[in-house]
Amino acid sequence: MDTKIRSILIGALGGEGGGVLMDWIVHCARMHGLAVQATSVPGVAQRTGSTSYYIEMAEKIAGAPDPVFALIPMPGRVDFVGTSELVEAARLMERGLVSPRRTVLVSSTSRFFTTAEKMEMGDGRFDSQRVIAAGKELAKTFVTLDLEKIARETGTMVSATLFGALAGVGAFPWDRATCEAAIGGGRSAGASRAGFNAAYDGVTRQLAAPASDSLPNSKSAVADFDKNVGRAGEGVAQSGDTVDTRNGSRSREIARPPTPTLPHKGGGGLTVDFTDLPTEARDLATLGLARCIDYQDRAYADLFTQRIQSLAKSAPASPERDHALAEAARRLALWMTYEDIARVADLKTRPERFAKIRAEAEMRDDQILNVVEYLKPGADELAAVLPAGLGAWFLRRVEKKGSPGMLGRPAFIATTSLHGFAMMRLLAQFRRIRRSSLRYKHEQAAIERWLAAMSAALAASPAYAAALAELPRLLKGYGETQARGLRNYNAIFESRVAPAVAAKDFSGAAGLRKAIAAALADPEAVALDAELRAAAE
Amino acid sequence: MERSFATEIESLKLGEGEIFHGEGILAVTKALLQSGVSYVGGYQGAPVSHLLDVMVQAKDYMSELGVNVVACTNEASAAAMLGASIMYPARGAVTWKSIVGTNVAADALSNLASPGVKGGCLIVVGEDYGDGASVIQERTHAYAMKSALWLMDPRPNLPTIVRCVEKSFELSEASHTPVMMELRIRACHVQGEFVAKDNVKPAVSTLNKAAAAPHDYATLAHPPVTFGHEVAKYAARMPAARRFIVGHGLNEKIDGRHGEVGIIVQGGITNALIRALQEIGLADAQGRSDLPMLVLNVVYPLCPDEIVGFCAGKKAVLVVEESQPEYIEHEISSILRRADVNTALHGKDMLPMAGEYTSEVLVSGLAKFIDKEIPRLGNSGAKAYAEEIAELRSKALIALGGPPPARPPSFCIGCPERPFFSALKLVEKEEGRFHVSSDIGCHAFGTFAPFSFGNSILGFGMSLASSAGVQGFADKRPIAIMGDGGFWHNGLLSGVTARLLNKSDGLLVIMKNGYTSATGTQDLVSTPHPEFKRTAGGDSTTDTEMTIEGTLKGLGVKWLKSVHTYKVSEMRDTLKEAMTTSFDGLKVIVAEGECQLERQRRMKPLRAAALAAGERVVRTRYGVDDETCTGDHSCIRLSGCPTLTVKTSSDPLKSDPVAHVTNGCVGCGLCGEAAHAATLCPSFYRAEIISNPSGFDRFKARLRRIFVKAA
Repeated sequence: MDTKIRSILIGALGGEGGGVLMDWIVHCARMHGLAVQATSVPGVAQRTGSTSYYIEMAEKIAGAPDPVFALIPMPGRVDFVGTSELVEAARLMERGLVSPRRTVLVSSTSRFFTTAEKMEMGDGRFDSQRVIAAGKELAKTFVTLDLEKIARETGTMVSATLFGALAGVGAFPWDRATCEAAIGGGRSAGASRAGFNAAYDGVTRQLAAPASDSLPNSKSAVADFDKNVGRAGEGVAQSGDTVDTRNGSRSREIARPPTPTLPHKGGGGLTVDFTDLPTEARDLATLGLARCIDYQDRAYADLFTQRIQSLAKSAPASPERDHALAEAARRLALWMTYEDIARVADLKTRPERFAKIRAEAEMRDDQILNVVEYLKPGADELAAVLPAGLGAWFLRRVEKKGSPGMLGRPAFIATTSLHGFAMMRLLAQFRRIRRSSLRYKHEQAAIERWLAAMSAALAASPAYAAALAELPRLLKGYGETQARGLRNYNAIFESRVAPAVAAKDFSGAAGLRKAIAAALADPEAVALDAELRAAAE
Repeated sequence: MERSFATEIESLKLGEGEIFHGEGILAVTKALLQSGVSYVGGYQGAPVSHLLDVMVQAKDYMSELGVNVVACTNEASAAAMLGASIMYPARGAVTWKSIVGTNVAADALSNLASPGVKGGCLIVVGEDYGDGASVIQERTHAYAMKSALWLMDPRPNLPTIVRCVEKSFELSEASHTPVMMELRIRACHVQGEFVAKDNVKPAVSTLNKAAAAPHDYATLAHPPVTFGHEVAKYAARMPAARRFIVGHGLNEKIDGRHGEVGIIVQGGITNALIRALQEIGLADAQGRSDLPMLVLNVVYPLCPDEIVGFCAGKKAVLVVEESQPEYIEHEISSILRRADVNTALHGKDMLPMAGEYTSEVLVSGLAKFIDKEIPRLGNSGAKAYAEEIAELRSKALIALGGPPPARPPSFCIGCPERPFFSALKLVEKEEGRFHVSSDIGCHAFGTFAPFSFGNSILGFGMSLASSAGVQGFADKRPIAIMGDGGFWHNGLLSGVTARLLNKSDGLLVIMKNGYTSATGTQDLVSTPHPEFKRTAGGDSTTDTEMTIEGTLKGLGVKWLKSVHTYKVSEMRDTLKEAMTTSFDGLKVIVAEGECQLERQRRMKPLRAAALAAGERVVRTRYGVDDETCTGDHSCIRLSGCPTLTVKTSSDPLKSDPVAHVTNGCVGCGLCGEAAHAATLCPSFYRAEIISNPSGFDRFKARLRRIFVKAA
């Protein structure tokens, strides 16, 4: 007589308590009188790296030898797969360990980004939606929920919530009470049990919901997938946060912004009408307008409006033009509200900032918060906010005689102290003379140049304009990062855009996009240099 | 030590008939005690660390039994310990990670194997091969053959492993030869059960002392007796071993109805083979196979009679032997040829030379064997299986739009070694590329993104030695990085003293975190004193322990600087100075900062107690202002901290994700330090969260609330 062996594979990250989860399962199986074997490849050093745990169990048959258990999961032959993180589910699918014929897959929607994803200069995040789509296609049943969030809310580890999720999808041939008993009575057992129960209930609720999806091989649980992923970012983000759609297609779906709420300065009675703009551009322009008021004043916002309106008039509506216009609105808004000392000091002293810090640190009301800023203002940054003439003189002097001692040194400013707060507010006052500042002059000149090129491109080739609209994406950061971005921007503008404008030949959209991508490929401009050199030859 | 084995120690005490539940490597520990072992030693390393760790922690129980437990400083020192069994009836066991540990131990092993032993000797090696392995992929088998040591490779279930441990001692004594047992990673970590026996108090022990053995020149690995040893190995010891192996039925024969063929398999991969046979319908879940099998729990030496007996009359056999080269297959080939048995022999012609033998790999090899030698079994389903899995993978890849990003292990949150690599990255930015000799240990994570440092790894503690040749022609001074673990394991002698002897130039960085952290924070000779740790609470204590500095000074190192790793700017400047100074000779930078696993473990209970007692407690964490971060991620490229991550900006205008510090932050401060040192960005802030604030705290808070809203 043959025995049915039940196989369970757990994908997790080192340090998440996967070993504890494995022990709970083994303990339950023993209590339940099953033959069981479990193994893992932790290696003592596999800290924060991908790791997996594999368990097999079967009924014991009187008189027959115990079943022979395997130590390594066999592709296509795993009954239950549970993962504590979404890309770990992708990894197991990639290895063929999830099969539509037999595998029930339950995964957390939470992401713990890998270094490779995080270190990209643009957006290197792996597309969560693709993992969801793959799960729908490859698993017999696919259930997702944010196990990390549940763990956070119940004060436990993801091992406990994953235990609940696996129990909820029926991975174990024993009841819920057996699982709860296995968690035991230690100091953290209460929280573990709460996490277990919340995940268990979350999963069973999903499975009980009527199927609203016509996908084959998948049960009701899929109905909630998209909603869940949307929710994944909720813990940290505000309204307007969107489902991450990145990589491959760069089409970004921006959430419809609410009517911009105008912060503490600027002024009410905002009635600028962007109705002649296409929807996407209108939404972004509305945001940009509010941003400019918040940044400087109403007149500055008018300048923004005028610039956008003028771009819109450069070409008749078409899907390509509309897309280019939207992107231009986004980039123009960000560019016009570049971060100088005054802006940073202003943002760092707003009440909502402290409220956000308290929330992020999960502080209770009876706890006191001190905030210390890590600043290192350099000569460039000071010159940037000085009146243009003075700033230029100052930079010349620095070049000859070196930077004054207090600049370029690490400064720790306690914004929550009276002294520090006052100093930051003082710095924020540079906003008043921003229009006469050195950097303002430089930025506005560059913006005008870009706008002129945009205008010409929109009329001739909306595709080129769409690429050109992306170019200011390179302008970001502070200090060396900013210098690098500017260098790359100028290199591309001079070698690609300026000649195109002069020759009125806007056929090189693809080349321009390639150059932008190259600039974002590495911080040392290796790829960009190669790209520009190749194009020049 | 990172882990507490309080529960496991209790299971070591189980008696006759009781059920042991637990990990494979701890079952080995229990089996050693059941075998009456006198002394145990070893050097830590996954996957065998737990064997020794549990014994070190079970000090009281070990002294009760009279077992002498020694934490050795490297594998050579562990292997040399077995010398006690050459002339005394003392059973001894040592353990280490192989192949690397066996390489280090090789000299002592040769010298042990030559005279042979009186008391049983067992060397438990963690065969770090295949998925999850962290070392070069080679076989311990070669050492068994070249030194004439016997090698066990038991089936990976606890009863077999335990039986093989017990039988190893008997085999060792019956044949006067040390025995090795190889256990693969998953077998070491396998959770299972076996019926325990009483522990046996050793014949000679710390409680039952022995008089010094008489001088017997024959027990020395020294000429001329070595010539006699060589003869004895093959004339006496090996035949005795074969008699024992056959006599005690250490290898298992599984009958099957298709007797015209057969499979010879290493014990350690039998389960994978059975699963593969099951897939193609030739075995059941209990392991009853249709193809006869000879399972070799002892893979060296083979017993010719057993092999011939199994093969004779068969049309063909398949040798399932993982890793390369195919020593067993070669030996079987010789045995069959000599016995004039003309059974066709297959193995590496049908199975891959390299890589782990998973069930999937075995299915495809079995299919080839069946097709060629027993085609009447017809379409076994192997082809269908291969197609099914290939399709699954291709579907996954298409749906995912490409392979998911790799996730190698990395420095822990708050690790003091990460800031060193941030500093090194800043040096590289200013000075250009330079040669970096890497080493084994946590700091090897510096070879991964975002740091990507390292031009070579030549073994544990070998970094300085490995830069000696480069030193001669490198245009910039090469840097050798090693941990304090590597320094004591080997680096001091092979690296430091060699430079001093040659009075040559060089730059060594010693990562002094106080423990061999990668293997589970075992103690070193330079581990901070418990008293320092007690008074330091949650602070780093490595600045109080000067054994490394004292040793270097004593040897005559003139250029020596200690820098706390979290001082990123100071570390960068010190590195630059060391790289450019005209001082000709060895320069050593001790990059100190205590392993945060140990530090956090001390801090957590202290903090919890203080909070419970209503005392004022300050928690520090770092953060990034979403509004001012522009999403370039330079900070991440300089840090790689798991809690410094990215998130979708709350600003719908920003399309690139912004940096974000999660609440897992332990407040180490590297991100702020790096932002300062590299002049990155003003977005970083430090938040100090005061629980149970004092009256003065509250007064200040009230006062400032007038100005600073919501803080």
